[in-house]
Amino acid sequence: MSRIAHRFVPALLALLATGLALAQGEGGEPLAGVRGGPVSAGDYAGRRPSEGARPEASWQKRAAEGTKPEEAIRDGGGTGMRSGGVLWLADTPPMRGEASRGRRGGGMGGMSMGGEHGGPPMKRLWLRAGADPQKAPFAHQEADASVETLLVHPLGKPEGEPLPSPAEGHTGLAFAMPAQGFYRVYVTTRKLEGDTLNVSVAKTEVGNFGHGGDEEEQKRAITAPRVLENAAIEIVRERQDKEGPFSQISSGMDQSFIVLQKGLPAANARVRLVSHAGWVKEMTSDEQGRVSFQIIRDYFPPWDEFQKRFKANYLVIAEVAADESGNHNDQPYTRVRYQATLAGNYSPSPNDYRSYAWGLGVGLLAVLFSGVAVYLYRRRRLKPFQEVRFDEKA
Amino acid sequence: MNSPNTKTAIPYNRSRQAREAETMLDHITDDFDDNPAAMDYFYDLFRRAYCQGESLEREGVRVGTTCIHAPEELIYAMGATPVRLCNGSYHYDQIGADFMPAKSCSLVKATLGMLSSENVIPKVGKLDLIVNPTTCDQKKKASAMMVGMGHKVYNLELPPAKESEQARLYWQRSVREFVQQLRQITGKKLTRKNLMAAMARTSRAQAAFRTLHNFRRKAPSLVLGKDVFLVTNAYFFDDIERWTEAVEKLNAELAQRDQDGFCAAQKKAPRILFTGSPPIFPNLKLPLLIEESGGVVVADETCSANRMLYDMTAVDEWLVNDMVDSLANKYLKPCTCPIFTNSDDRLRRLVELAKSFAVDGVVYQAFSGCQVYEMEQKSVAETLNKAGIAMLYIETDYSPDDMGQLTTRIEAFLESLKTRKRNRT
Amino acid sequence: MKRLKDAVDRVDLNRFRFWLQLAMFALLVYGGYLAVDLGSRLPMFSCGFNEEGRAGVCYLLPLQHQLSRPWPQLFGIAGVSVLTGFGVFFLWFIVLNKGWCGYVCPLGTIQDWITALRRRLGARYSRYTQGQFRQLSRIKYLLLALMVLIPLGIGGGWFSRDMGTPFCLICPGRMILPMFTGDFSQFTIDFSSKTALVMTALGMGITGLFLAGAFVKKRFFCFFCPMSALHYLISKPALLKLKKDGDKCTRCGDCYTVCDMEIKEIADDIKTRDIMMDDCILCLKCVAACPEPGALKANFASVTFFESTEAGFIKRSQKGIGLEQPEH
Repeated sequence: MSRIAHRFVPALLALLATGLALAQGEGGEPLAGVRGGPVSAGDYAGRRPSEGARPEASWQKRAAEGTKPEEAIRDGGGTGMRSGGVLWLADTPPMRGEASRGRRGGGMGGMSMGGEHGGPPMKRLWLRAGADPQKAPFAHQEADASVETLLVHPLGKPEGEPLPSPAEGHTGLAFAMPAQGFYRVYVTTRKLEGDTLNVSVAKTEVGNFGHGGDEEEQKRAITAPRVLENAAIEIVRERQDKEGPFSQISSGMDQSFIVLQKGLPAANARVRLVSHAGWVKEMTSDEQGRVSFQIIRDYFPPWDEFQKRFKANYLVIAEVAADESGNHNDQPYTRVRYQATLAGNYSPSPNDYRSYAWGLGVGLLAVLFSGVAVYLYRRRRLKPFQEVRFDEKA
Repeated sequence: MNSPNTKTAIPYNRSRQAREAETMLDHITDDFDDNPAAMDYFYDLFRRAYCQGESLEREGVRVGTTCIHAPEELIYAMGATPVRLCNGSYHYDQIGADFMPAKSCSLVKATLGMLSSENVIPKVGKLDLIVNPTTCDQKKKASAMMVGMGHKVYNLELPPAKESEQARLYWQRSVREFVQQLRQITGKKLTRKNLMAAMARTSRAQAAFRTLHNFRRKAPSLVLGKDVFLVTNAYFFDDIERWTEAVEKLNAELAQRDQDGFCAAQKKAPRILFTGSPPIFPNLKLPLLIEESGGVVVADETCSANRMLYDMTAVDEWLVNDMVDSLANKYLKPCTCPIFTNSDDRLRRLVELAKSFAVDGVVYQAFSGCQVYEMEQKSVAETLNKAGIAMLYIETDYSPDDMGQLTTRIEAFLESLKTRKRNRT
Repeated sequence: MKRLKDAVDRVDLNRFRFWLQLAMFALLVYGGYLAVDLGSRLPMFSCGFNEEGRAGVCYLLPLQHQLSRPWPQLFGIAGVSVLTGFGVFFLWFIVLNKGWCGYVCPLGTIQDWITALRRRLGARYSRYTQGQFRQLSRIKYLLLALMVLIPLGIGGGWFSRDMGTPFCLICPGRMILPMFTGDFSQFTIDFSSKTALVMTALGMGITGLFLAGAFVKKRFFCFFCPMSALHYLISKPALLKLKKDGDKCTRCGDCYTVCDMEIKEIADDIKTRDIMMDDCILCLKCVAACPEPGALKANFASVTFFESTEAGFIKRSQKGIGLEQPEH
């Protein structure tokens, strides 16, 4: 029962909100970012999750217009290992211009469908530097850094295999995905700066699932372990309840991540989540290495341009400093700074564009209209052969 | 006995009319050995009603019906009692001749004759209403004459065809209006409860009839046709519950006979299917002739027996509106009366009965003047011929004059059936 | 054997059907919680949107999905999966023929429940006239055609992806069946695009119409069901069959009287042996309501397992009237 009540709450809220919006509309106060009456309900309903965010979740706009995101991150204590800032693996190239264009279709970005050429689908990834998921430029290879790229195949060895560097003239990494399941790519960069060794692990996870495949195989692929035992540091996204092959996280949802070092949880790591528009939230991992963020809604296009399949990128950055000493390329170091990144994407919450109030309204209207119509028709009609009636209750 | 016919000098039981009934009943009982014991109820009933002129008056509103199309369940539900007025008496036939042209149906004439006389036999009491379904022309025109005799008549409008959806709806409307009419007379309302009770009674009676009907499939026969005609005839005026019980008793006896391997007729007796104009007591001369000549009537397709009781009502939702419509359907759709434009259903029914009752021949009775039966004769003969079943067509009326001639024809027909049977085996 | 057959022929079909439908409903709507999974090729409306409780998925959902693939794929390798999917659907289908509608389909069961509610409230049912009936029963073929053509159009790039699974968008099962597991998320209007707005509003409108319609009309939605149309098109080789012996039929119309789908042919057609018409839901109520022995039969793989009998008819009808039948 409580579950049903829970489901109804949004509807009731939305109903209230509609009333509110209409009342405001009559008052002549324009609604920001909303065009026309009908949209307001959906919009209001949609804003609820971010309003409901916990009070301590103080999101800061670090990557706002005016300041360069890289600087903002660096100012905030980021370990800029390169001129570009944090390294992460994106499945989209940097955006040019101001227009925020979303991509349509699940998993199509950077993926050329293999069907046309008869081979398995190919996936392209780009290593980018900087904490702005939209605009961070491509990372440039630095001479003094050692880079190691690993691909973990869903059916391959759990410790992965090296991924060849991109061919001449290509930026980014490309690999084929012949099997169903999650492909993981780790780009580990080690660079010495003074007595500090910076270890950066940029990771991404690409799901490759087809419709109509073997369902058992899909289930196995979804639940397969996703941890690289010998990664210096990595972030693992925790699965949502009942996550399926085509599940998407959407704004408003809680998403937790686990920071691991060599497969063991890293407590007290500084973890930041950067949203698509550049909002940053910082937290510290608990003893299990876990942090949990609520993904905020930061997609506010003009309503005409709203796309429910818009895929926004988020970026998670985890940092751990350790007093370890050793040698890197025959140079000694006394401190190690570990940095892990994980990029992923999220879509607008259905609450942004779906309205219970209107749904129930239309449904009830249809019931009432057809009910009344049938009733009146039966009452009033003196259709031949049916005009004599008997009292059922006599 | 306070006889109402004080005007006439002789008491009823010694009148010509009573003798006509008595002669027939004596033939039915005495010409055959081994009549079922359970038949005594019916013999006695007819003797009391027709020979002694005993009163069968029922309490409450009495509704006379002139055809099987008047839904009896509705009449019972409204607290009234239906009485089927179709009459088989030669005495009334002669009286009725004053109303109708010479060449018209004996049944209609007899009915009119009965209604016009002061001493109505069987004595069912004064009728509050006569329901006259608009079936054949003669019955339609009889309506005005019945009004002329001082009866209150309601013409229940029956469509002239039954296949079309319009006909069905038209008839449903007629039946609904009929309920209104009944309500005016009885002052009662049709309710779910009283209609269900009425339908239950009829349904039980029909179930009993169907059991009896099925016993007649047995070869050699367990029961003779003349007895079954008497049983169904009693349904016209008898109390429905008493009738049902009597039939159930008869069924129990037949079941016992079946176990004992009893034969009511000779094993090789030709099995006859009787169709056409309805034999109504005391005019059972044709079925009686058949069975006296060594045949056995195993099935019939007449509105005084099978057509009246065989078809049962199915209801989907037990709500008054649905029940009334379902009843209306039952009284129209399966009916094989020749007044409808199309005779397909009757032909198919005859062939089906002939096959399922292992019939050797068909006797088709048409009352002279009953045009619809006379007109269908040819197509029925052709259809049966095609199916390899011999048919004897007999045009007759209520007068006993043609008995001799009929006996010869029937004996010849039965002989030919026997020969055919022998040649086949 | 004879005794068993008699017992079956005398069954109180309505009661049997009620319990079977209830069991099937529970299985299909809540079976998912017990990890029952019958796949996604089922020939009735076990709604895929009931994600938690479903024990299988209505074939129309994956079919529309598959057909909306880009054409090069659809007419290439993916075409094979469309065909194999249809094959599995077909194998399911031929077992019960349209009996899926009359006994298994949860949306059909819900309509029967709404009908039972109406009956309890003592409201009479509505009927179409023959003319209306003939017009309305064409709609399902139109819906079936659209249900195939629109996804193909999406694959060809003519329609928006928001039109994907167009029939599901307007099918009342999408709203109503998830509701039974407490999921009301389909009761929404999608404002993200004009197409989505129109389709979801249409869906909610049809849901409203469904509830009101099913209240006054028995099996209201089944007249328009494209699954029913699809069934009929492939029903020739099905194992479960409704047979009629026209010679034994008296055309009394009892079967037509009880028919939820107002199929007149069941009473009037005495020539066709395979009497299952396109609107039929194989509920077999007609067989139970037929007083003529052997006139109507239900066959499974040419073995008669249920047929009209006089004794069965009398037992059922007297039970309906409330008359206790004396034991013989």
